Amino acid sequence: MNLAAHLAALPPAEASGLRAVAERLRQLPEREPSADLTERILRAVNTEHSRPPFRAPKLWRVAAVLVATLALVALYLRFGVPAVRDAQADDGSCWIAAAQEADGTWQPARHGGAEAYRPALTALSALALDRADGRKYADPIGRACKALAALQNEDGAFGGNGRERYYNHAMTTFALAALASDRPGLKPVLERALAFSRASQTVEGGWDYEPGSDGNAALTSWQVRALAEMRRIGFAEAEIPLRKGLRWLRGTLREDGHVAYHRGTRNPSECLDALTAHTLITAGGAYAGLADLGRQVAGRLNPAEPEDVADCYRDYAKTLAFAAAGAAEQAARVSRQMIARHQAGARDQWERVGGRLYTAALTRLAVGAL
Amino acid sequence: MSAYGQREEMEDAALMLQAGAGDNEAFAVLVRRHQKKLLNYFTRAGVQYDCEDLVQQTFLRLYRYRNRYRPTAKFTTFLFLLARQVWVDELRRRKRQERLAKGLAAEPHPEYAAPVAADAGASGGLDLAQALAGLPEGLRQVVELGVYQDLPYAEIAAILKIPVGTVKSRMFTALARLRAHWEEKP
Repeated sequence: MNLAAHLAALPPAEASGLRAVAERLRQLPEREPSADLTERILRAVNTEHSRPPFRAPKLWRVAAVLVATLALVALYLRFGVPAVRDAQADDGSCWIAAAQEADGTWQPARHGGAEAYRPALTALSALALDRADGRKYADPIGRACKALAALQNEDGAFGGNGRERYYNHAMTTFALAALASDRPGLKPVLERALAFSRASQTVEGGWDYEPGSDGNAALTSWQVRALAEMRRIGFAEAEIPLRKGLRWLRGTLREDGHVAYHRGTRNPSECLDALTAHTLITAGGAYAGLADLGRQVAGRLNPAEPEDVADCYRDYAKTLAFAAAGAAEQAARVSRQMIARHQAGARDQWERVGGRLYTAALTRLAVGAL
Repeated sequence: MSAYGQREEMEDAALMLQAGAGDNEAFAVLVRRHQKKLLNYFTRAGVQYDCEDLVQQTFLRLYRYRNRYRPTAKFTTFLFLLARQVWVDELRRRKRQERLAKGLAAEPHPEYAAPVAADAGASGGLDLAQALAGLPEGLRQVVELGVYQDLPYAEIAAILKIPVGTVKSRMFTALARLRAHWEEKP
């Protein structure tokens, strides 16, 4: 029996009404798949295909694991746990590595964040592992790079629409460029990413997800960082958009020494000041005066805890800005506060987007900048 | 006819068996053939912005099953069984993130909304689509599989793991509710 037979068995008047509803439902407009959906699925399938097949453990392996476990239990009963844990072992990188998905990505949705930012969180997590110990984590980082390549669209962007599309793209490009030195396979991926960065740059030189805007300082800082990394590893085509981006970013500096989110607006943000300062110092080092401007902005940042609110994004940017400006003591102080809040399980306003992956990765990246 | 053309003409089950034997092009034909159905399956379930990710997850699961696949039932029955599992997993994840779900419901991003035809609102299509998405999951799934995919009730029963009699009663209830909603509109 199917629907037609079911309705045919009903009284004619009732069947007619229900048939009309079913027909109307079938006439509702359908959604068309994106032009590149097939390709993206097949890329993901090919990534899956290249993974070694799972083999059931042999009996001797099971026995070995059992013996090792019993030995550990015996040691624990004999000596107990160390009173003080090794701070290096508790830097969050083990947790990040363990949170990687089978497909090589990190899923923010699994950790309290939003699915839409999967590329960005995968990129930041892989970069955090690289900064912790690139050799130890070479395998998960390599799998993350492959997964990010599979998520790339035909136009070079790394997934999503609107706001998340641009942040995914800038952060992923930045991370992949930073990881590309030992991975020549990333070159074509970065070439496509660069094409998207250039295409999405406004005439004035900034980047924004809001139509009609000439740029916003946060997104532009990430894009500029990505382009600077690309230039560092030999992408000469990154030079022009980088120079334009830096020029736009310089234009966000206000007379009071703070950075405007949109040029000409007044909405002070310590996070934005720090992110822009770091970008000007590091990416603008080759251009006269930009690094000095960045240091001036960094010099106005407050090294003390401004308020008892966890904000890993702000603390990450401040740590980087202080470190880049040569203020090592202040950088260490901010990062210590950041680690203390993270370990205490403080809730962060951006966790709704990035989940615990975001706090763990940015904390690890901040520590790595010291 | 070329090998490509031959594959395009093949039955789903035969393509799946070829994919199990290592023929990735056969799998690609299945993807092209069924991706739109799955995309609309998830769209009608009310997924706003990550439908294509769920379609990808469904095909990944299908690919993982390629070596174990046996054509004992219709291929589409198997495919929608996988899609339903993906959807159930997604719902569980969302439930765990109630806070996030509330945030999304309170502030839907206009760019995430599924595209609808320009005249959908005028003809009542938008209302009916919303009414469908608003049905309880058990009723909506029966409509999805029985009306849109035109599956026999026995297959729907197999996918949803419920008796055929329950499929009938749910279908009747769902269509009656949608009819009432439709007729209430001016």
